[in-house]
Amino acid sequence: MGIYRYTIRRLLQAIPVLLGIITITFLLSDAIPGDPVQIMLGPSPSQAQIEAIRAKYGLNQPLYVRYGNYVWGLLHGDLGESLYYQVPVLLKIKQRLPATLLLLISSFAFAIVTAIPLGVISAKRRNKPTDHISRVIALVGVSTPSFWIGLMMILIFVYHLGWFESTGLVIPWEGPGPLIAPGNQAAALGAWTDHLVESARHLLLPTLSLGTLQMAAITRIERSSMLEVLSEDYVQLARAYGVSERTILRKHAFRNAQLPVITLIGLQITAAIGGAVLTETVFAINGMGTLIVNSIYRQDFPTIMGTTFFYGLVFVIGVIVTDISYAYVDPRVTYGEAE
Amino acid sequence: MSEPLLEVEDLRTQFFTEDGVVRAVDGISFTVNEGEIVGLVGESGAGKSVAASSIMRLVEQPGEIVGGEIRFKGETIFGLEDVERDGDGPPEKVPRDDMLSNAEVRERIRGREIAIIFQDPMESLNPVFTVGGQLREFIEINRDLPENEARDLAVHMLREVGIPEAEERYDDYPHQFSGGMRQRVLIAMALACEPSLIIADEPTTALDVTVEGQILDLVDDLQGKYDTSFIWVTHDMGVVAEICDRVNVMYLGEIVEQADVDSLFHDTQHPYTKALLNSIPRPDQSVGELNPIAGVMPEAINPPSGCRFHTRCPEAREVCTRTHPGCREVGDGDGPHRAACLKHEGVFNAGYVESESIENKTTGGFDVGLTEEGEADD
Repeated sequence: MGIYRYTIRRLLQAIPVLLGIITITFLLSDAIPGDPVQIMLGPSPSQAQIEAIRAKYGLNQPLYVRYGNYVWGLLHGDLGESLYYQVPVLLKIKQRLPATLLLLISSFAFAIVTAIPLGVISAKRRNKPTDHISRVIALVGVSTPSFWIGLMMILIFVYHLGWFESTGLVIPWEGPGPLIAPGNQAAALGAWTDHLVESARHLLLPTLSLGTLQMAAITRIERSSMLEVLSEDYVQLARAYGVSERTILRKHAFRNAQLPVITLIGLQITAAIGGAVLTETVFAINGMGTLIVNSIYRQDFPTIMGTTFFYGLVFVIGVIVTDISYAYVDPRVTYGEAE
Repeated sequence: MSEPLLEVEDLRTQFFTEDGVVRAVDGISFTVNEGEIVGLVGESGAGKSVAASSIMRLVEQPGEIVGGEIRFKGETIFGLEDVERDGDGPPEKVPRDDMLSNAEVRERIRGREIAIIFQDPMESLNPVFTVGGQLREFIEINRDLPENEARDLAVHMLREVGIPEAEERYDDYPHQFSGGMRQRVLIAMALACEPSLIIADEPTTALDVTVEGQILDLVDDLQGKYDTSFIWVTHDMGVVAEICDRVNVMYLGEIVEQADVDSLFHDTQHPYTKALLNSIPRPDQSVGELNPIAGVMPEAINPPSGCRFHTRCPEAREVCTRTHPGCREVGDGDGPHRAACLKHEGVFNAGYVESESIENKTTGGFDVGLTEEGEADD
């Protein structure tokens, strides 16, 4: 029962889900009041202009034809053309994706790297001062809105201390731009260093702002999960056979305790996508979040549908990755075939 | 007679809960000699398992061993001494100098000298590691063997406890084993570390009867072969009869009767033991004739005054509500036979004979309903 076959099967199973997302967003955008053509043409367009635009975007055709065309386009990687930007939606997503991806990856990395040790230590020193401190941090973290954290950090670290930047992102892998003297390795190295420092200065606050909620949520589940596993018979048995507490924590308890954590991280991806919209707004980042919000303001239906489909795709992949890692951690979870 | 392997003296383990102090083990003393299987019997909540984990110093917060002594092969696993405090007040109990440290207990006693088999084989193996890997790890720790030798020994032990195709099953995960097979694995773990003493904490309770029989036979065989001593914790008098050499009957944290298995069964000296024996179902009895112990065991947080069993005892008299009997020698046979019951007037001299009998109104027990139903059927 190979992991490859399982992955392929899960991907095939994702097709109906994606088709559902496409259909629902398509029908919703048709049912929503408001006419994108009027928004495009301003207050008092002539009837001829309206007809021309409708014909250009195929809006004069019946619903099922438009639906068929849309799905057919999707199969060819065509998400339609943005009514506002007048460029293909896919191009727009390509432009905006790196910033959001960078933000999501860095905030999840921050969340996981801090939350797991915090949760484990908290469980190990249950009801001791370390545990209380970490629980207070987690409680504050889950109950504080991320945009408020963002605004407060901007106030302190940008306006008062001036340590970091509060607007936009610098994408690290895009490089420092053309060098004045090609071949000058010292200059190139310096430019790259400056570029990466700049990138970090822009990235840190949005990462903390978005990652705090994930960090807090993961810490809480990690703690309770570890506590549960530490009281299991097999941990007791390891103790009874003279295994040291350190080995018990790292080997005998840790892996079992990660199952609920993995589930939570998978689910948090959705929450983080939502959170990214707010974070991008607070930190003026031109990412997917601002793209989707602005498209809604402008009734730019192809872009709304395209970005929604894209987020759906990300989420479905997230769930599949969660399931696969689940089976990887726990041998009791098989890849869905009889033994 | 040679020095006993394990000596437990006046052991007290308490749990400090929000509702009060639970005296789970309240002053028990017993010994285990080499090559012996000693039973620790009693109902649920009698403190058997707490006593077992106390011996390995595995009692978890909020539980704590608060008194008594545990000696094993001349080493002190637990022991306190009085130290005079400055100024007034009672002397303070502190660990004795010769008591093993936590690290010493972990490295020298657990697994190496005393191993344990838990009640529920389904929960005792770690689901994310292979059975062989877990066995090998414990062997490596407690036998100081390199990995490949530990592996060979692990396979050998799996074969020894009757796992078919041990070589192949080595890499299987616990969920691929049945309950009985898992208990065999746990027995293999215990024996592989070659301890002098194995504590079996109700190891067959979670298994069905046919498997229970197989496991008991297996332990019987291997006990002779490896010459290991056992403490066999159980509530099942049938198992006791089958496997134990000597028996300690526990009630509410205390040992109420202590004897070798024959005189315990044929010359029972304590009403509680008698009640336990009477509550074993027999094929020639109907449910109505079955004679379970009246009522439920009181909580150890607030034990009854006097003899703790007097609330359920058919032979209780007024004096039993006032006087607490210790466990004393009562037997007239050859071996030692100790019991904690005032009815042995010659030993306790508490005025049992003149004392008035008391009616025990049982509450909450299931005997009443069952008996009435039984009578209605007649």
